Amino acid sequence: MREGRGLPSLAAAPFSGEKVFPTNAMAPQRILVLGLGNTILGDDGVGISIVREIRKTWKGRPSVEVVEASLGGMVLLDLIAGFDKVIVIDAIMTDDQNPAGFLYELALGDLGDVVRPYASHALDLQTTVELGKRLGHKMPAAVKIYAIKIEENTIFREGLTPPIEEVVSRLARRVIGEIEPI
Amino acid sequence: MGKTISINPVTRLEGHGKIEIFLNDQGDVEDAYFQVTELRGFERFCLGRPAEEMPRIVPNICGVCPTPHNMASTKALDKLYGVEPTITAKLIRQLQYNAFYVEDHFIHFFFLASPDFVVGPDADPAERNILGVVQKVGLEIAGKVIEVRKRCRDILRLLGSKAPHPEGGLPGGVSRGITEEERVTIKETADYAVEFAKFALQLFKSVVVSNPAYLDLVLNDAYNLNTYYMGMVDEDKNVSFYDGSIRVVNPEGKERALFDPQYYADHIAEWVEPWTYIRLTYLKVLGWQGLKEGYGSSLYRVGPLARLNASKGMATPEAQAAYEEMYATLGMKPAHNTLAFHWARLIEALQAAEDMQRIAGDPLLTSKDIRNMNLRLTKKGIGCVEAARGTLIHHYETDDKGLINKVNLIVATQHNAAPICLSVKKAAKGFVHGGEPKEGLLNMVEMAFRAYDPCLGCATHTLPGKMPLEIVLRDRDGNVVDRISRGE
Repeated sequence: MREGRGLPSLAAAPFSGEKVFPTNAMAPQRILVLGLGNTILGDDGVGISIVREIRKTWKGRPSVEVVEASLGGMVLLDLIAGFDKVIVIDAIMTDDQNPAGFLYELALGDLGDVVRPYASHALDLQTTVELGKRLGHKMPAAVKIYAIKIEENTIFREGLTPPIEEVVSRLARRVIGEIEPI
Repeated sequence: MGKTISINPVTRLEGHGKIEIFLNDQGDVEDAYFQVTELRGFERFCLGRPAEEMPRIVPNICGVCPTPHNMASTKALDKLYGVEPTITAKLIRQLQYNAFYVEDHFIHFFFLASPDFVVGPDADPAERNILGVVQKVGLEIAGKVIEVRKRCRDILRLLGSKAPHPEGGLPGGVSRGITEEERVTIKETADYAVEFAKFALQLFKSVVVSNPAYLDLVLNDAYNLNTYYMGMVDEDKNVSFYDGSIRVVNPEGKERALFDPQYYADHIAEWVEPWTYIRLTYLKVLGWQGLKEGYGSSLYRVGPLARLNASKGMATPEAQAAYEEMYATLGMKPAHNTLAFHWARLIEALQAAEDMQRIAGDPLLTSKDIRNMNLRLTKKGIGCVEAARGTLIHHYETDDKGLINKVNLIVATQHNAAPICLSVKKAAKGFVHGGEPKEGLLNMVEMAFRAYDPCLGCATHTLPGKMPLEIVLRDRDGNVVDRISRGE
């Protein structure tokens, strides 16, 4: 399929709103710490609790953004484009024998091959990164995923169970150690 | 011996969404069911909370379509507090809603639907995805898809504090107005969106409609489902997304009901089946007739094609022209062709974009009169919008202090859940024979499911992206005898 003749002209026009794709190429290495999850589904919100803990206990620096998001799909592209490094913190459910609160350190490749989502909602992180690259966006060269094993995410409630709560400050400290300048 | 086949196209290790297909001894399809795991306690979670918290909470139900939940919730608060939003507030809400529609419809079409048509329904699954589409259509077009949705998302961010989750929602109005400078930019985005929507329709025509093999697929009986249709219409009975009456037409297109959404419970009833946690909806006046299509059925469909079927036309001129062209090609209205949901989706994107242009040109858009503060607690509020995937209803009731004591949500995937079962069954019957479905054929079955873009998160009130779909084929005794899993 090629773009045919006579198609409408779609010249880009500037938009005055917030920039979706940061493009400051001269800046120091830009790092995104991204906490994912749903805070009204109990332990599913652990990723968000951790980034809140980081914001509370760390003074921050301009080249690091600490962001929480309850979303999936294409929106991740907006969030991660333009960064050199991304640290994702999310809950995960697995069928192995590890206890709740077990911390998995994963890379993009650990999430499986690029596959077809069943619905537009389900665009996965790896596909998102690959898509961004092919579209010419600056995509992170490094993506690290901290996934905390949880056992339940089907009941609406706020707050974390004790084994998951216990992970929050520990992982927050670890991530801060990684994003502090050497 | 029968077969059991599992398709698990996503990688998270959970098992919430599932389609079960039952085969007979000859390996032919007998039945199909669409199932979703239950999520518990949403109503209890909301009880006792101040009603005004609801527009902040409900976007968390769905990480992909938070705007419709937020808007339905905000409209429910309008009713709960007995207040009519100002004209400018309505314009701003409609602007926000149209921006959402444009963005959401294009994501669906280009990311989910187009791999089947642009790359090919029986192509290698490794190529039959958005990356394969990018490869085929070229980076320039793909870049424009990203650009148009980025601009729409910028509008959502502008109006809702952040995107995609709008922050809060105020009864009687909106939290911020539009400046003249912003209006100019919004107009540019609207113009861009209109041009892109026209381009997308042209692309659909050149790739699908002009290709006899694909057009045959769209018109194939395996993708045909004869149901009632439901959608919101304006006072001219044209397609409306933000506000209006609910219109229901029968399988021949005759008006069966036209009602104010406040009276939804008189027309829509919910049915519980033991094999699913989704409460299936049906037309109350006809009674529950089970999973069957046609006149003896009380099932109806919602979503893009259903809205077009349930209306007299589109509300904007370019979209109306596209609407007429679609029905001329499909040969009848209502059109029962499930794959035409994709076509209807693009026509709706064009209407949403044209309506953004209208709003951007309305002098009242930049008025400072953005909120009616004449609040009066009525203790009951029902808000209804057309979510991208179909009619969405939020129903709240409170005590004298405005604290929630009843919540009921009816979401698009509930309306469509029973028809999805039937669509999958028909597609499976059409393409699966002898119990040995091949990858390409299974994709043909999935295409029937994908046309609805069902939101499992919405249907069960949790975030999507964590709910893999599994397709299981069983023999007549219910035994799983084989598994084929994509993505492994």
